[in-house]
Amino acid sequence: MPDSTVTTVSAGWALAAAAILGLLVAFAAVLDGLFSARTAGAGPSGMTRPLGETARLVRQRRRTTVAADTLLWRIGSSGLLFMALMIVTVVPLGQWTLFDLDVGVVWFNAMDVLAWAFVWLTGWGANSTHSLIGGYRFLAHGLAYELPLMFALVAPAVAASSLNVGTVAAAQADLWFVVWMPVAFLVFCTGVVAIAVWGPFTPALGSDIAGGVTTELSGVDRLVFQGGRYALLAAGAAFAVPMFLGGGNGPLLPGWAWVLVKTSALLAVLVWLRRRLPAVRPDLFMEVGWVVLLPAVLVQDLLVAVVAVWRT
Amino acid sequence: MITAISFWVLAVVAVLSGAAVFWVNSMARASYSLALSFIAVGVQVLLLQQNYIGVVTILMMVMEMAVMAVYMVMFMGMNPALMPMSMVHDKRQALAVAVGVFVALTAGVLLVPWPARRGAPAEDVTAALGEELMGPKMLAMITVGVVMAVTIVAGVVLAAHRTRYDRFGDDLRRRPAHDPQPGGVGR
Amino acid sequence: MGLSNALARYAVNHAHVLLVEAPGHWLTRAAAEQQLLARGWLFASSPADADVLALCGTPGPEIAAIAARLWEQLPGPRARVQIDAPHLAAAAFESAATKLLDVTLQRDDSQGRSATPNGERHRDNESEGHDGGHDHGGHGTHVGKGEMDGGHAEHSAMDHGGSSGHGESGDHGGMGHGMDMGHADMGHGATSHGGMDMAPAGIPMTHGGEDRDGLELDVLHLRLGPVLPYWPTGLVLRCSLQGDLIVHAEVTLVDAQHARHHAGVRCAHHRAARRCDNAAGLLALSGWEDAAGRARRLRDWLLSDGDRGTTARDLDRLHRRIKRSWLLRWSLRGVGYLSAADVARLDLPGHLRGDTHDRLLSMIQRAADDIAGSADASSDASEHVPIVKIGDVVQGLDIATARLVVASLDLDPQPAASAVAHA
Repeated sequence: MPDSTVTTVSAGWALAAAAILGLLVAFAAVLDGLFSARTAGAGPSGMTRPLGETARLVRQRRRTTVAADTLLWRIGSSGLLFMALMIVTVVPLGQWTLFDLDVGVVWFNAMDVLAWAFVWLTGWGANSTHSLIGGYRFLAHGLAYELPLMFALVAPAVAASSLNVGTVAAAQADLWFVVWMPVAFLVFCTGVVAIAVWGPFTPALGSDIAGGVTTELSGVDRLVFQGGRYALLAAGAAFAVPMFLGGGNGPLLPGWAWVLVKTSALLAVLVWLRRRLPAVRPDLFMEVGWVVLLPAVLVQDLLVAVVAVWRT
Repeated sequence: MITAISFWVLAVVAVLSGAAVFWVNSMARASYSLALSFIAVGVQVLLLQQNYIGVVTILMMVMEMAVMAVYMVMFMGMNPALMPMSMVHDKRQALAVAVGVFVALTAGVLLVPWPARRGAPAEDVTAALGEELMGPKMLAMITVGVVMAVTIVAGVVLAAHRTRYDRFGDDLRRRPAHDPQPGGVGR
Repeated sequence: MGLSNALARYAVNHAHVLLVEAPGHWLTRAAAEQQLLARGWLFASSPADADVLALCGTPGPEIAAIAARLWEQLPGPRARVQIDAPHLAAAAFESAATKLLDVTLQRDDSQGRSATPNGERHRDNESEGHDGGHDHGGHGTHVGKGEMDGGHAEHSAMDHGGSSGHGESGDHGGMGHGMDMGHADMGHGATSHGGMDMAPAGIPMTHGGEDRDGLELDVLHLRLGPVLPYWPTGLVLRCSLQGDLIVHAEVTLVDAQHARHHAGVRCAHHRAARRCDNAAGLLALSGWEDAAGRARRLRDWLLSDGDRGTTARDLDRLHRRIKRSWLLRWSLRGVGYLSAADVARLDLPGHLRGDTHDRLLSMIQRAADDIAGSADASSDASEHVPIVKIGDVVQGLDIATARLVVASLDLDPQPAASAVAHA
């Protein structure tokens, strides 16, 4: 690898990475529990909700449906967690990384399109109308957010002249990319929220279609699917740190601590957003994605490219 | 050693899941076993240290298969999609052609005297490959890219049942446009 | 043992409840909602998600049958309770919690059920090889009966005919009334397709029909309601779908002939509470949980005769908040627009004029008017929405917008029961 700025740690540390991701998931879930308990206005604080929800789903029986495609269904529902784990392998924690891939940015992209497959398969496999409509709604969102997301990732890569995540982070020692490519950052965050089927992008799980993709999921399948959504949100927030938020750069604290602090902060914002925003209907968002977001992010890329050329 | 073993395992996975496309009897399974086959190939390309190409293969193919599954289900009509349906047509000739091509290619691989390596591989193999493929022909590649995009747009425009007169009225003055499904930016 | 006990207690403290409301008992449902949130429990969106099935009110025969079908689909451990009156909700949930914790009870319950739905057995017999029927359902138009019927005798996905008392033609009356999660009623128009198993797992094929672009697309019959989150009680919409577009819809009410509680909410506070309840449903459907929760709390205050001044102020704040949200306006603007002419033609009350966003604001406004004691006429009981007209209103919409539009019609509890019965 040319000009790599991070050390690759041995594969055994993957467990530690998974544990950190788990902690972030727990953090996000507790936060969400607190927020929703506040909305309900009564009852317990919601602190223990993630734990209770886990206990509930572990205890619950799995079920199948008539003429379900069980194989694809299970693959789909467990896939989101797999995606999140694959994404964090290329995120450097300060100076350490698990997988110092020279094309880490594209790796993130390859992993995030897996959501197309997994969410749709979860909707398809159950052989239920509501869950299938949910699956199609996700693809409709996907058609709108995916290209802007891809072009949003181009901006930091062009600015750093590298597709290596560590190098992109190192290139922000003076100035965080979020400062001079805010459009790309916002579009990236939109994409992360969308792949996690979160907040405004929940029509695929909408209560108008009885839970959409999750209509027929129960027990451990539902646990893994919902946990996977949180994990994707956490992994996406973690990936935004080296891409836009200066990676481990920051005063006083060591690099790894800054990465965790920034990740948690962004994650908290994303969790909080869910309660503040209504859902974006896929049929309306489609046009926004193509007519507003895509041109906006292309202009952003152009500006970044001009600056990058001018600098050299 | 590990690399060699994983390469072979992936090769077997790629071939078997490729073949599974014709064994399974559902369009979703057929699409996604093809996706699996491509993913295995993508990881193999990674093992060949063509990182960019390997990862992009995975990216493109998963997305393509997701779209393909949806389109298959849509265009095949709903009834056949519901039924457990055979994924092959014209079995005998297809089989003959497939076996013939496979034998020819394998024979080629095995019989051609592969040259020994001369010189060391470039520092950045992906860049070197790109340079080799496109370097002198960049202008042509850029032109081809634009032409392809224009072709797609033109194809959609020509195929579309509705025209701007349906949307904006005969004098093209009607605002907002009359659409069966209004979009999100209020055009 | 200690661990599994602790696990069970944690699980039961966070149970999800599927509420089934018998027509005419919305106050019981509102009380149940309030109680379950106070326990830290949550609403289940589908039977698969539920641990507790709570039947609110005294059910008529149809709702009882539906509840029984739904009960089969709960994965278990599960508990079923009936809440006869608002003040009994707390005790009922307490007993549900006890049932969920009762290991012997749950074990006996689960031993009586097999792990696979009956259809599996059918399928194995009928089609050879692996996964004979696995991918039907897929493509939005046909099917789906996602039901796990725990292997009980009448898995009637295949029983054609009206075993349940309202057997319209073309409808598998026996199968859970389609009420819930996407049990589609399949048409029987299977055309011949050489050599294939025409009804994998007993699911017949669909007919085709021209869609709005003139392409042939299958028509799927799906019943929306009566048990769906934020769906008007007792309402059943028999939809013919192409993709997720409703090409035709027909309205019925469950237990219509048994309705004793007759339309109308007399007390002004209750009327305002009903407006808030409807607004909460619409806000939840539009995906804005925060605002929905706020509207629900307002409803609960109104029902418990809370302080008038505070409630009015909070209502006003909610109104302003909804008005300020440009994202909500963007997503509801123009949805289900009813011009003055449409309102007259469909014989709807005047306050439904405009689009869904206007109707949402007018709902809150009318709640405020009710509290203030003014403009009694505006939400007078005489201005009921004729339920049969809902079919005309939602025709041509996709499911998402249809749900929003139906929620925006601001129906009163079981208002037109008698009207439909006479019609």
